[in-house]
Amino acid sequence: MDLDEALTVVVARDGDRLLRVGFQLTHDRAAAQDLVQEALLRVYSTVRRGGREPRDWYAYLRRAVINEFLRTRRLRSGAEVVADPLPEAPPAESAEGRVDDRAEVWAALGELSARQRAVLVLRYYEGLRDGEIAALLGCREASVRSLASRGLAAMRQLAMLAGVAGEGAT
Amino acid sequence: MSDIEELLGQVMADHDDEAPRAADLLRALAAAEAPAETWSWRRRRRLAVRGLAGRAGRARWLTSAAAAIAVAAVMIGSAWAGGLIGGRNGTRTGIHHTTRLAELTCPAKYRGVAPWVPARPAGIGGRSRLAPLRTPISAVVCGYLPNLRHKNLAGHLVGHALTRQRQLTGGLAALVGDLAWLPRLLPGQPIPCLTVLGPQSNYLIGLAYRSGGRIWVSTTADATGCVMTSNGDFTTFANVSAEAAKAVRTGRWPEPPQVVSCGSGGRLGQETVMVPAGSTSLTICAARVVRTVTSGFQGLVAALNALPARTSTRGCSSKPPFHGQNYQLEFGYPQGPAVQVRVSSYCYPAIDNLSLQAYSAKTILPLIEQMLRAS
Repeated sequence: MDLDEALTVVVARDGDRLLRVGFQLTHDRAAAQDLVQEALLRVYSTVRRGGREPRDWYAYLRRAVINEFLRTRRLRSGAEVVADPLPEAPPAESAEGRVDDRAEVWAALGELSARQRAVLVLRYYEGLRDGEIAALLGCREASVRSLASRGLAAMRQLAMLAGVAGEGAT
Repeated sequence: MSDIEELLGQVMADHDDEAPRAADLLRALAAAEAPAETWSWRRRRRLAVRGLAGRAGRARWLTSAAAAIAVAAVMIGSAWAGGLIGGRNGTRTGIHHTTRLAELTCPAKYRGVAPWVPARPAGIGGRSRLAPLRTPISAVVCGYLPNLRHKNLAGHLVGHALTRQRQLTGGLAALVGDLAWLPRLLPGQPIPCLTVLGPQSNYLIGLAYRSGGRIWVSTTADATGCVMTSNGDFTTFANVSAEAAKAVRTGRWPEPPQVVSCGSGGRLGQETVMVPAGSTSLTICAARVVRTVTSGFQGLVAALNALPARTSTRGCSSKPPFHGQNYQLEFGYPQGPAVQVRVSSYCYPAIDNLSLQAYSAKTILPLIEQMLRAS
């Protein structure tokens, strides 16, 4: 199978999953699509030049998406839009109050630094172990634990400021 | 695991269905190769800023990647990737020979990835509707049934060579009614779609008008309904391949069924308002009950249209208690298809007409229940 065919199959098989990771990182549909598109193009170029295809295409592309996310966030100085507002906000005391809490947690995730967000997405969305995240980000495992810990602490603070139930937080 | 960690995992999962789909990505990659009129200015500016468009070396493999990946569009339901490329390549097919004739002839080949049309609408508007609200002087239906020589990437047979064609001798008014009212696919609207499974039959419907105008419409029969229907300028997620299949066999476009569908269909205008004006009946479909009323439901229409709405993702996430009422509301009109609105008490966004969604149904559910009690 040549590279074009391989990439075609990979996008058909893993495209949705990569875009979901991109969306978790950026909280923005267009930005997520740009991220994955740019990662695909970079990988296409790299593999074509190098002549060797990765053994695990999904892991390879996910790494490219994460790297692209961190690279573009380093370059970007402006603030980003965190999330679209819900079309109709339910009252806080209603049975749908939990939706509010979740919206605050989602917004708090968007407030974290790019590396903290990447670590939390890889750990809690992709289910990677800290060692795997460290290998992917090119840092030590202790750094991953530190980023995750600081990210969670910041989220607790942001969520509590927004009135989300924080009892029982450890 | 702490509460925030647990909540974080749930929140991430909650937002899964908001992510763009691979079809969106394929569309963007295909657009990188598409002609100016099909190119999103926003994306063009973005790519230009990043220098993608201007660098020859990079643009070459960008094009190559786009072309390769566009092939996969048929597998995952891209509305545009193949259609745009096909539309550009085949503009002379079929129609070239028929400019002096009232009747169009079918192209010998379906030359692109569906939805492909041999030419964009000419001499008549094709941007506001799939086909004008005007009876054509002639209509031809072309069938491209699967053959052994063409397969998609999943290995399933795809129709590319013309296998049947028929000039329609009847049902032209029904044809207009079916095509003219189909809802528009909104820009960027995600279509949840499984990989195309099973054989894929393509159909072209050619319409010629007294003014000399011509429109070709592509519609595709596939097991998962992944492929859109389009005239090249207007695309809809609705599908008329079953009617086209019948028409190519009988020479008549079939009359629309006069039964309540409770869930299928859609109507032009539902992209801008949940229930377009002019509805004359409402059928409420619940688990065990189907009720139709012809009056007293305009308050419900007004309440639905007053909700803040956004582009539909055609999905919802169940929330506790994970059970409750689900209603399918079917608003009928004197002409053209009904509008279907799903209303749920536990799945959010709770209201969805396949083009627009509104988050909460708490003002709508009491009205529905009141109407069911009264009828």
